[in-house]
Amino acid sequence: MPRPATLLTGLVVLLALASVLFPFLWIALASLRPPHLVARPDLLWVAPDPANWRAVLFESDVPRYILNSLLVGTVTVAVALLVGAPAAYSLSRWRTGGAGTRFAILAAEMMPPAVVIVPLFLILWHLQLTNSLVAVVLAHLTFVLPVVTWFLVGFVDDLPRELEEQAMIDGHTRFTAFLRVVLPAIRPGIGAAAVFGFVLSWNDMFYALVLTGGASRTLPVAIAGYWTFRGIEMGKMAAAILVAVVPVTLAAFFLQKHLVRGLGGGAVKT
Amino acid sequence: MWRPRLPLRHRMLLPLVGLLAAVLAWPALFALWVSLHDYRLTRLRDVRFVGLDHYRALLFDPVFLNAMANTLHFVLAAVALELLLGLGLALALHRLRTGRHLARALVLVPMFVTPIAVGLMFRFLLNPQLGVVPYLLGRLGITVDWFGPGLALWSLILIDVWQWTPFMVLMLLAGLEALPRAPFEAARVDGASPWRIFTRITLPLLRPVVLVALVIRGLDAFKVFEYVYAITRGGPGDSTETVQFLIYKVGFRFFRMGEASAMAWLLLLVTLALTVLLWHLLRRREA
Repeated sequence: MPRPATLLTGLVVLLALASVLFPFLWIALASLRPPHLVARPDLLWVAPDPANWRAVLFESDVPRYILNSLLVGTVTVAVALLVGAPAAYSLSRWRTGGAGTRFAILAAEMMPPAVVIVPLFLILWHLQLTNSLVAVVLAHLTFVLPVVTWFLVGFVDDLPRELEEQAMIDGHTRFTAFLRVVLPAIRPGIGAAAVFGFVLSWNDMFYALVLTGGASRTLPVAIAGYWTFRGIEMGKMAAAILVAVVPVTLAAFFLQKHLVRGLGGGAVKT
Repeated sequence: MWRPRLPLRHRMLLPLVGLLAAVLAWPALFALWVSLHDYRLTRLRDVRFVGLDHYRALLFDPVFLNAMANTLHFVLAAVALELLLGLGLALALHRLRTGRHLARALVLVPMFVTPIAVGLMFRFLLNPQLGVVPYLLGRLGITVDWFGPGLALWSLILIDVWQWTPFMVLMLLAGLEALPRAPFEAARVDGASPWRIFTRITLPLLRPVVLVALVIRGLDAFKVFEYVYAITRGGPGDSTETVQFLIYKVGFRFFRMGEASAMAWLLLLVTLALTVLLWHLLRRREA
């Protein structure tokens, strides 16, 4: 292998890593600065001070917003799996509805949120359900449900049909074979779909911004509330950002292996 | 004994169809109905049918056309840059002998971060007084007004590139790793240059992955909202006002639901048309 090409490869990767990691590093350092020193870019190193973290974790409503986000994500994913898994099986094994159904699910995934936000808001407003977490769960289902189903179709596609056929010879009905044999066999896929669906729900701000307020806000909406750039708020904002980012980043490491298969759905074989 | 009338395959699909109809199809149709009315949250007693008036007005409305132009500019520039950078980075990672998995895992991190956090992070990093980037550039004698009139939209594009190039890397790297070996070995035996191998073998074989990645990313980029909300709120002037942000403003700040719904449907039609166009362009050359 020629040396210059190898050198270039290493350089490109290092540059990419630096530009990815630097913003996180700087935010992490900012969150550990005493409030009056947050807005001093000329100081590279300041002795760590946990004041911002204490304020965010123990003296603010952020824990409540974390709980809201956790609750919304968990319920959304649970419903999506319950409804999506049998549908994915049907779509994969019988091609129910032909290519049209698969396309419709992809189209649903891609629907601009602006199209559904006005009617969702109006419906929930008439039902007096705005400012409640129910509203956010319904809104998040609009994109988590198609994504989870799309993920699972790909994983069922990869499973040999002989698996259920053998189970049916052994006395299972088609449906119990699905429950007892197929679902356990695609457990990694279900895990990946669940984590990815949760991340999408956890990260959404647009729906939550319109549909929640006060105590029902989710974490991203609450973070946006720190946008008033008076120096004193910025260290807290940095800490709150990290609270939202770190769990998802950890989930991402677990996800990667399955993500391409899932996103590609029935379209990309890897 | 009770016998189900529907075959199992339909019964297993039905909950999905029902739920999607309830949370997606019905609201979308309701939005269409609202878009044909003068529907204001402040005047719910007085909702009047206006037919296609909103649509007709929007087609000549400079505010809406400006937002649409900004959005198209944003999507085209961001996705093109992401594809180019993503391809370069995927090729580099693919050649990497040691530490490829760790490097890939770290490079992918931005795509999992909530966009509002990304927006606020960069607002902090690029702020002319408080930000570390202008400070460091200033030491080199360079002053850039990142969110000034000429540059603001490009800064938002840059932020999108930071967050979503990893998605292209993810897809393209997987595509590269799945390529068959035989054509490459044959070409090397025939003495083809690396560039020729890249343009004649690698790129054509990658086309299906590129297509899927472009469609997913392109449609997603149309939804840009958080960076605008976190940083510019559409300014300076209206230079960074995107369709999604305008809909939010008209619908939930001014409560003019009819107009907002009409804009949403126009956005849907534009994205649909572009998707079909892209699909056909890339599919046809494949055949």
